[in-house]
Amino acid sequence: MEVGAALLDLALGGSSPGIAVVGTGKNVGKTVAVRAIVEAAVARGLAVGLTSIGRDGEAVDAGDAQAKPRLFLQPGTLLATARGVLPPCPAAELMAFAELMTAAGSLLYARVREPGYFEIVGPPTASGVRTALDALRRLGAEIVVLDGAVDRVAALAGGNEAIVVATGAASGATIDEVVDEVRAMAARLATPAVDPSRPSLKIEGGLTAADAAALIARDERRQVVVRDPSQLAMSGRAFLGLAQRLTVRCERPLRVVATTVASIGRDRYLEPAALARAVAAATGLPTFDVYADGETAA
Amino acid sequence: MNVDELLDAATATSLDVPWLLEQLAPVGAYGDRAFERLRPFRRGDEAGARANALRIVAAANEIDAARVDAMRDALRHAPDVAAALARASMGDVLDDPAFLELLRFCDAWKRLGALAVDAPTLAWMPHAAVDELAATLEPGRAGNAGFYLDDGFDPALAAVRDAARVAQATYETARGRLAASAAAILSREHLDEEFIVMRADLHGALPPGVRVMREAPTYLLCALELDEAALESLGRRDGAVQSVAAGEQAVRARLSWAVRARCAALELAADRLGCIDVLVAQVRFAQRFACVAPDVVDDASVEFESGRFLCLEDELRREGLDYAPIALDLRGVAVLTGPNMGGKSVALRACGAIALCAAFGLPVPVRRARVGLFDRIVWLGIGGDDQRGGLLSSFAKEVVRLREILGRAPQRMLVLVDEFARTTTPHEGRALLVAVIGRLRESGDCALIATHLAGVAEAARVRHFAVRGLRDIPTRPPDGDLEASLALLARSMDYGVIEVTGEHVASADAIALAALLGLDDRLIQSAYDALKE
Repeated sequence: MEVGAALLDLALGGSSPGIAVVGTGKNVGKTVAVRAIVEAAVARGLAVGLTSIGRDGEAVDAGDAQAKPRLFLQPGTLLATARGVLPPCPAAELMAFAELMTAAGSLLYARVREPGYFEIVGPPTASGVRTALDALRRLGAEIVVLDGAVDRVAALAGGNEAIVVATGAASGATIDEVVDEVRAMAARLATPAVDPSRPSLKIEGGLTAADAAALIARDERRQVVVRDPSQLAMSGRAFLGLAQRLTVRCERPLRVVATTVASIGRDRYLEPAALARAVAAATGLPTFDVYADGETAA
Repeated sequence: MNVDELLDAATATSLDVPWLLEQLAPVGAYGDRAFERLRPFRRGDEAGARANALRIVAAANEIDAARVDAMRDALRHAPDVAAALARASMGDVLDDPAFLELLRFCDAWKRLGALAVDAPTLAWMPHAAVDELAATLEPGRAGNAGFYLDDGFDPALAAVRDAARVAQATYETARGRLAASAAAILSREHLDEEFIVMRADLHGALPPGVRVMREAPTYLLCALELDEAALESLGRRDGAVQSVAAGEQAVRARLSWAVRARCAALELAADRLGCIDVLVAQVRFAQRFACVAPDVVDDASVEFESGRFLCLEDELRREGLDYAPIALDLRGVAVLTGPNMGGKSVALRACGAIALCAAFGLPVPVRRARVGLFDRIVWLGIGGDDQRGGLLSSFAKEVVRLREILGRAPQRMLVLVDEFARTTTPHEGRALLVAVIGRLRESGDCALIATHLAGVAEAARVRHFAVRGLRDIPTRPPDGDLEASLALLARSMDYGVIEVTGEHVASADAIALAALLGLDDRLIQSAYDALKE
């Protein structure tokens, strides 16, 4: 099977105009998953729009100077990226300046005219990401792919984009550690929508672990409602503990459709099939190995 | 707009200058720079100030509000090309975003030119350098407003790109052949750049053309090993890509030279765009607030009919209320009296704002005005927003500020005084005020002194203006609603300012106002009794 095509099917199955890949950490295969999705969309003749929260597709990791997977894009692909990282070659068609700044200069909308390697630096804020996604659609993108940071997924809340959670050997020393991390993140991102027919307590701003502890201490039985899952400001473990004792809901839910696993980390390997099985079982989501090109059903 | 050359921060706050600046603000980067350069006209250049205001009014008559909005939209979308021009002038090769900015700049220029037709006051001039640059960049226009380093710039670029496409396709075919062969052996549909092969699934050796990147106990991380033919096609592809890079950079260098050759002229055009932006903002101001060009005269006076303080008028309009314009003929020093809430402070503010606009050669919100140019406009009293705190009382702060005002080098000032010395004993406050007026008269300043203290104008022998005040005493609404009370008050108040002569007796409007605003009847009656005594 082709992982990119399968992920694309999951997203399009929900009539989603976009897919965001968010990771449990660095080097967990986000860019590889994005590349697979983009290639699958291009193969189907879809006009793809691509942006990022932060920086992606660079040749080397800005943190540790290790080689990173790169984004080789085909003609017709639309980009929202920073002026400072546009490659001199191949020249891209520059369509518009966005009134948004990134760490590498102003954001530009561009169309790939000749195949080549591109680096994507997207807007740093949730509202900026939403603006860029909408602009890419206006410019003709039939599907928008977002390489995302999990703390900025607020931009996607309430929208129809599908979310893929990427995890891998880089985010834990053992399969159990990786699973703990991804289970918590998937559960947090998949926080259900508030039930308006039941009593609720609206939390303004972020819900911290200390806030949650206070609510548990006073035996809060109402739905505890945050604006969106990004407002759950606590560690994965704390969230899982909290979810057992409080009914946490959100106003603007996210649509988490799958997980991907990368069994190869910078300095460790995990057994791919076992990792995929464990992640699928823990998250209840279809799980794809982007390197082994396989799916493990939940 | 360098208002600080005319007034200090406290005065600016009292006259709501930030609101005024917002109304006059241009929309583009060049406009911002031109706006920052605006300076007040100085004494001796009254004709210049008047001519500037007349030019704005003439332009406001030539272009309607819809065209003003369209021009501002064009100006708003004109990119700032200052950095691109600076880089080009230093011999740098510009990048594609810089060419996009320059193309958009040319588009904005062209659009403004079309909008400036039939508006001779705007003095729009075609600019050869802009037209030439637009023609140079035109082959790169992509869609309505995009830019691409198109083959049309150079036939050689088309050739190297074609070669690169062929080389890429050849390489992909060669790699695809290897991938398909390996994938078939491994029973996979697809092989990515790196892929995993499970040891358990591997019966025998890896297929030819597959190399191991890393080994794990249960699997191998592999990549395709290119054969000689594929490596050769990869080398040709890389060479072709380098040729494209060189070709694209050559076009950029040529375009950058074209920009460099016109840098000085383009900078002038950009400056001109800034001046137009400022002018269009002033035209919009004149249209929105029905302003006229004042007569700017060489004496210390502020005289106007039907004058308005725009910030308040705007606020009232948004609340569906009317503003009552006033007339004033201020020459030298005069005292202004009147009831509370009768508009004394607003009259002072209108006077200051009109003088400020005239000083910058702007039309003023009046039916007719005759205004002198001042070296300074200063505010003393309520609303001065004096930041000095600490040990100074309200009175002490006023005195310190007065000392600073009077201590300035000799210059022509417009002094606006709002209830100076209101916090000390009335007889001493009155004496101080009379003395201050004497000093201002000696200095030849123009001043309007609002006060509740009685007999100041007579004692200082200056003209005396008064707000007409309440036409009748409105009856308090039965429910005591404050908003309703204020509306009644506004309807009953005559905000007109008249000159009074002889002994002017202030009416007891303060007690009537206190009653209207809800003080109980017994207290109000006691106040009237005390007044009689």
